[in-house]
Amino acid sequence: MPQTSILPQLIINGLIAGAIYALAASGFSLVYYVVKFLNFAQGAIITFSAYMFFLFFSLLHLSYILSGILSIMSSILLIIIVNVIVYKPLRKRKATNVVLMISSLALLIFSSSFVLAIFGSTTKIISSKNFNRTYDFGIFTITAIQTTIILSTLILFFILFLVLKKTKLGKAMRALADNKEAAQVVGINPERIYAYTFLIASVLGSIAGILIGLEQNLYPRMGVPLIVKGFISAVVGGVNSVPGAVIGGFFIGLAENLGIWFLPSGYKDVVSFAVLLLFLLIKPYGILGVKARDT
Amino acid sequence: MLSLNNICKSFGGVKAVDRCSFKTEENEITSLIGPNGAGKTTIFNIISGLTNPDSGTIRLLNKDITGMPAYKIAQSGISRTFQLTKVFRNVTVKDNLLIAKNTSEAEMKKMLESVYLHKPLDAIASELSYGQQRLLEIARALLKPHALLMLDEPTAGVNPRVRQELKLILKNLKKQGKTILLIEHDMDFVMDISDKVIVMNEGKVLREGKPKDIVKDKKVLEAYLGK
Amino acid sequence: MIHEYLIQLLTIISIYAIAVTSLNLTMGFTGLINLGHMVFFGIGAYASALLTLNGVPWYFAMLIAGILASVLGIAIAAITARLKGDYLAMVTLGLVFIAIAVSRNWISLTRGALGLPGVPDIIRNNFYYMVLCMSIAGICIFIFYKLINSQTGRVFQAIRDDETAAAVLGKNTYFYKIISMAVSTFFAAIAGSLLVHHINFIDPTIFDLEFLVVIVTILVAGGLASIKGSVISVFALLALSEAMRFVLVSPALIGPVREMMFEVILILILLFKPKGIFGKVDV
Repeated sequence: MPQTSILPQLIINGLIAGAIYALAASGFSLVYYVVKFLNFAQGAIITFSAYMFFLFFSLLHLSYILSGILSIMSSILLIIIVNVIVYKPLRKRKATNVVLMISSLALLIFSSSFVLAIFGSTTKIISSKNFNRTYDFGIFTITAIQTTIILSTLILFFILFLVLKKTKLGKAMRALADNKEAAQVVGINPERIYAYTFLIASVLGSIAGILIGLEQNLYPRMGVPLIVKGFISAVVGGVNSVPGAVIGGFFIGLAENLGIWFLPSGYKDVVSFAVLLLFLLIKPYGILGVKARDT
Repeated sequence: MLSLNNICKSFGGVKAVDRCSFKTEENEITSLIGPNGAGKTTIFNIISGLTNPDSGTIRLLNKDITGMPAYKIAQSGISRTFQLTKVFRNVTVKDNLLIAKNTSEAEMKKMLESVYLHKPLDAIASELSYGQQRLLEIARALLKPHALLMLDEPTAGVNPRVRQELKLILKNLKKQGKTILLIEHDMDFVMDISDKVIVMNEGKVLREGKPKDIVKDKKVLEAYLGK
Repeated sequence: MIHEYLIQLLTIISIYAIAVTSLNLTMGFTGLINLGHMVFFGIGAYASALLTLNGVPWYFAMLIAGILASVLGIAIAAITARLKGDYLAMVTLGLVFIAIAVSRNWISLTRGALGLPGVPDIIRNNFYYMVLCMSIAGICIFIFYKLINSQTGRVFQAIRDDETAAAVLGKNTYFYKIISMAVSTFFAAIAGSLLVHHINFIDPTIFDLEFLVVIVTILVAGGLASIKGSVISVFALLALSEAMRFVLVSPALIGPVREMMFEVILILILLFKPKGIFGKVDV
């Protein structure tokens, strides 16, 4: 067992991982909450956006800001295309949420095959001196990019909650999530709200992709384990609740990193899965989740 | 036969069923009536074990069935249908019936005839019209061994012809001396067929009695028409 | 040469046929969305490899592999049986990553990413091995056929179509869901076991999701709840996948392009022919 002096460092590492999981989870759970299916393609957005950032920043040498904006815009474009070509026609013929889920899984794996065909299987690194600057606080160290990750996710979640709680769009989303028929009666157009939901989720996924790309390495399958962490976080936090997903993300990030006290680091995935099973057995609807009322 | 004692159930602070008690007698048709949202379907779900009550007890044939899983309650002798018909869509009429009871083709055909469903046994359930699916669901519920049959708005949402057929089916069942708990909106029909009527409003039992007493009751009229 | 190539292809087709039909039992007939099907396949492969490498006879190893996978399948089904269907999908997908993590990190057992080479042949002659695989596939398909046409199979399909209605007809739906998973995962492990004795090697990439998508594509293309469809689809899609080998010039592209082919086929079928070629089930 490691010494207690590394505890602060493990907590910081947990918060960084948690921020990333929370980003992956929030987009996933937002779509689940409003559109009612497990959208694994959220992981495709993460991979795609990270590689787009690599393309703009490392290959085309554009500035961070411009590369970031272009990556987010490409991700939005991608989700619009996916929604129009795949999800919308499926909803039109009233496909079940299982069909939507399987098609999203196909899209997720397609994205990794596609990236593999274009960029090859070698790991890509987005390197920049500015990001790797390290701050040493004695009991723990943190890099500039890690600080950016934690701060920007907190700001993003603040904005997300404002959108959900205060805007007309957020109210329409909640109405739709609650009762589709009733929402339609009061004049809410589900397709429009779904499009916005995917759009917001893709922005969250895209920013997650960029931040992960900056902190870690890029590889074609990167989105797959992240989306798994995303949904584990979402389940632990309450899959029907976006704030729950955020809390779940930090919870899983911390649990994994504190788990290193007991287990080799390769078993991080096992820790999060054990937490998932524990929650399914004891509190299946998550920390903040409520069981959907059966009718 | 079936007795409910002080059943309560709330959904998110809203009392769907509030201290509800009643009994059904053997070989009688007992009807639950009341405005939409009175808690009738919730009562059905509680009796059949799909929803657990917050408090209160349910006894069937002198056995406490409160809180038992749905399949055990079904095995204890309850057969039911749903307001929105639930047939097994992707399998044949025959398979729908065989799930209820492993029986001969002859008995299945007789059952289909008795509910006026003129469809071959090998027809896929999803190819049946909604009204026909309702008939199939009733045939299935009848075939399943049971002591008490619960029908949730059997005549709602089907075309007038099927509605007439359903009324005929119910009258035949009454003749056979079946024990039935019925939710129904067609007042004339309820008053005609029931042995006992239970009026519910806002989760409470408002009145219970013989049909002829219920029609004259002022409180019942108020619940339906408002003050 | 052509002869040898055909033997290889038919061996693989038999193994895939077991994998796809056993997934059909849970996904097509019972409506259980098991995204971890290849985990059970991989566990079968690993268990069989490790046991035979340590001198256990192959038939015994195969049986233990099947039982191990089945026990895990029962546990997963028992945990999720009372929850909404989506939870099974999530837990089984999570299981994929546990399998990857464990097979990579439990080095003393699995040799990690290096994999286990030298897994012994069951039968040295490839032709006879093909016959063995085809026979086991035949037995497995026969068992599934009998099972789905029994009262148990009827309850499986009732659960898929309407679990509540099955419950109020007196069926213990949790129990039947567990049975369905137990049988399906047992045969998935048998298929994995046959594969590992065919290619004589195993590493953690057996758990990759790409493999699952291939199996799901074959299943959906053949049609959910159609065993005949699954078998024909295995032949058709594996032949198509083999044909890609001759079309593509760059060997580095074969892998990803083949995968993409399966993913695109899957999406196209879901969009335009959701019942698959022979399926009866409305999805």
